[in-house]
Parts: sequence; structure tokens; C-alpha cells
Amino acid sequence: MDDVATHKDWKVCFSSLAPGLLLFARQWLRSPADAEDVVQEAFVRFWRRNHDIGNRALLYAAVRSIALDFVRRDSRRARREADASSETAQSAEPQFEQLDDSQQPLANAVDRLPLDQREVLVMKIWDELTFAEIATALGISQNTAASRYRYALVALKKSLQPQ
Amino acid sequence: MNDFSELENELKKLRPAPPSPELFSRVERALVDVAEENESADNVVCPDRFRVNWVSLGFGLAAAAALLIVARIEINRPGKKIPAIASLTPAPRDIAGAAAVNDRLVPAGFTQVVYNTRDEGLHFADGSDQPMRRMRYQTHETLQWHNAATGASLRVSYPSEQVELIPVSGQ
Repeated sequence: MDDVATHKDWKVCFSSLAPGLLLFARQWLRSPADAEDVVQEAFVRFWRRNHDIGNRALLYAAVRSIALDFVRRDSRRARREADASSETAQSAEPQFEQLDDSQQPLANAVDRLPLDQREVLVMKIWDELTFAEIATALGISQNTAASRYRYALVALKKSLQPQ
Repeated sequence: MNDFSELENELKKLRPAPPSPELFSRVERALVDVAEENESADNVVCPDRFRVNWVSLGFGLAAAAALLIVARIEINRPGKKIPAIASLTPAPRDIAGAAAVNDRLVPAGFTQVVYNTRDEGLHFADGSDQPMRRMRYQTHETLQWHNAATGASLRVSYPSEQVELIPVSGQ
């Protein structure tokens, strides 16, 4: 940990991990600023304790834990977040960058997924965690993780089909 | 999973919004602070851990004291209630004393029903270097007392919640 702040490794790690971690945190915290606070706290805590940065399951578990604590700490904030999540996707700040018209429906469909499916999807698609890592991060079995992923894909496919 | 390969490819084309440049500088400042803390805290035991230990020690001592008091009451009770000779030649005063002892509510039962168990996943407790699995148990507890002399009974039920932190070994 000597001279850690000037060490370039953390920037490399953080650059590659942060977008996925922020997307993951935004499931509970619709405000990007709050999500950044949570990701910062998790990453700094993780780095400070010299955990292996390759252990992404632990890092995601830290983000999830801090995000849930963040919501619980302030009930007013929790209510606000719940209200925000019940609003339409257009009112929330975008979670993906530079969407074209063909991508917007898919992004909206992802946003509408149930939380338990969405968190598995985010970890699997954008961070390429294995089902074993996802299972560890969420405290569920690998089969459950795989099932939730499949349910998420089925739901997305269904929501994109023309009515 | 081949049915979904096209959908998966479409999902991967969505790029998560990048963090703000400000977040990088905030993380950098936080890491600098951590490094400075580590330098100043070399060879010093973390005060948080001391505090947690003292709290645990306090609870432990309080529990031990309560246990000793209860144990002493339990030890003393039979001697006062029934002297060895009383069963053969009970004196009127002794009968009254025994009745007085019996004429009160004594604990008769305790039940605890766990009606919900929730695994809240891995957490980092403050001051802990290791992740812990947090289990939340919601229970319904019932305490019962019974008065053998009058037949009266008292029952108190209340909901309670317990949180258990189970250490998880790192991988």
C-alpha cells in the first residue's frame, strides 16, 4: 500500500471496473451521484484491505452491501429512491451512453426487469462474471443465478417482440 | 443459450455510462488519505477494534453477572422451600412459608418460532477485514409463567429480529 495514490494500477483497475459497478449500483440508487459515492466507498475499502482485485465477486458484494446500507440509513432517501424507481425510465438519468433509436427500447426493457434478474444480468453481461462468481456475490446457488439470467433474457426478448 | 446469443450481443453493445472525472479525483484523494492513515497508524492497534472488544467484554461481563444472580437464586430456592425434616413433620409456619413460595408466578416455558430467514449476502462490518454473511431472522417469542397455587398463568408474546454475522473465508 506504499505510495498507493500515485500507483497507476488503481486507475487501470478502476477505469475498467467502474462503469459496470456504477450500473450495478444504480439498481438501488437512481441518482448517479449516490451511485458514485457507493462505488467510491466500496473500491477504496476493497483496495485498502488489499483484497485481490481479481476477486470481482467480493467487490460486487461490497458494492451491493454498501448500496443497501445507504438506502436503509435514510428512510426518506429510500422513499425517494423508491419513488424514482417507479417513475418512467425517461425521468431517470441515462445509465447507458449514446443510445441510438434502436437501442433505447432494449435499455428501457433492462431497466424494467425485476431487481433480482437485473443484478444477475448486469454482472453477467457487462462484467462477464461467471455464474459461480455471481452466486458468491449474491449469496445464492449457481443454479439460481443461471435461472435468473435466463428469466431475464426471456423477459427482455418478450418485451422487445412487437405486440 | 444459443436462442439468446443475438440478444446477448445486442446487450453487450450497450455501453454503461462512464464515471465522472470527478469520481477519479475523489477516489485518488481517498486513497491518499488511506495511505496517510496507514503511515500514521503503523504498529498501532486499530482503536475501532479496541472499542468493539470493550463493548463485547462489557456485554460478556453483564451476561455473566446476570447468570450468576440467576444461578444463586436457583441454588438458594430449594433450601428455603423444603427443609429435610419438613416433609415428615411440617410446622404450620413452614407450610405457610412453602405456600408463599409456591404462591407466585414461576417461569413455565419459552418458545421461539422463526418465521422468516433472510440471507442478506456478503457484507463488510466496520472494522472487519473479512466479508461476513448477514443472516436476518424474524422470530416470534413467547414467555410463560405459571402460579401453581392459584392456577394463574401469564403469557407474553412479542416479535423479535436477530441478525447474525457469519464470517466467510476469502477466495
